[in-house]
Amino acid sequence: MKESKKTLEFKFERTIPAPPDEVFAGWLNPKIPGNPWNMAEKLLLNPAVDGFFYWSAKGTAHYGRFTEMERPGRIQHTWVSPNTLGEESIVTLTFQKRGGDTLMTLVHSDIPDTDRARGHEKGWNYFLNIFPEQFVNRSHQEK
Amino acid sequence: MDPLTDVLTAISHPTRRAIIGQLANGPARFLEVAKPFDTALNAVTKHLKMLERAGLIERQKQGREVFISFRAEPLREVAGWVHEYERFWNARLDQFEQYFRNKKKRNKKERK
Repeated sequence: MKESKKTLEFKFERTIPAPPDEVFAGWLNPKIPGNPWNMAEKLLLNPAVDGFFYWSAKGTAHYGRFTEMERPGRIQHTWVSPNTLGEESIVTLTFQKRGGDTLMTLVHSDIPDTDRARGHEKGWNYFLNIFPEQFVNRSHQEK
Repeated sequence: MDPLTDVLTAISHPTRRAIIGQLANGPARFLEVAKPFDTALNAVTKHLKMLERAGLIERQKQGREVFISFRAEPLREVAGWVHEYERFWNARLDQFEQYFRNKKKRNKKERK
């Protein structure tokens, strides 16, 4: 039986107050907060074309292979995690000069559309985070 | 607007989120809802109308009084649209951007 495979793509943009070469380098530096490598408890990172990465946090492992590395404008790598069901999704980053700033775009594509990642329970937690104090108060009252 | 957009619009304003937070503690009368906010009563009325349209609050008459209460179900339905990677990358990129903003501020201070 041939299964049709539905995939998802997400695009994110941020204006970073630094020139592209600095932002590009920052994204690959595990010491800089915010990049995925920074949150790793265990990290192997070889940021070159055909270089691999492995990082794990809270018991979840992520793997990938760098496929494009064009300093300071573009990075592309694969991304494999439990949420991709072990298949390769693609992460593409571009860094475009905007005056003294950088328009940074991250596109995560070819993500299998699974209940695991689109779970109502996890989504609900997202909203709990929007109203943390209020819901904490509420849960105390309900006890 | 469709129901999903109504809910997302309703929770996009800090005053409306605060109202939801307040009502999450239990139903309240209109003046009790309005009390914490330094804003005109008709502005609070408008916020309540938006929350009502999104189905996030409902009014119930008890005798002569009307109580406003919170309904969580629309938020639960919207939650299904939020993918784990949307949360993951938004959180990472916010932190990354903040690092560079803080660095820029520090550099400015040092130059003064």
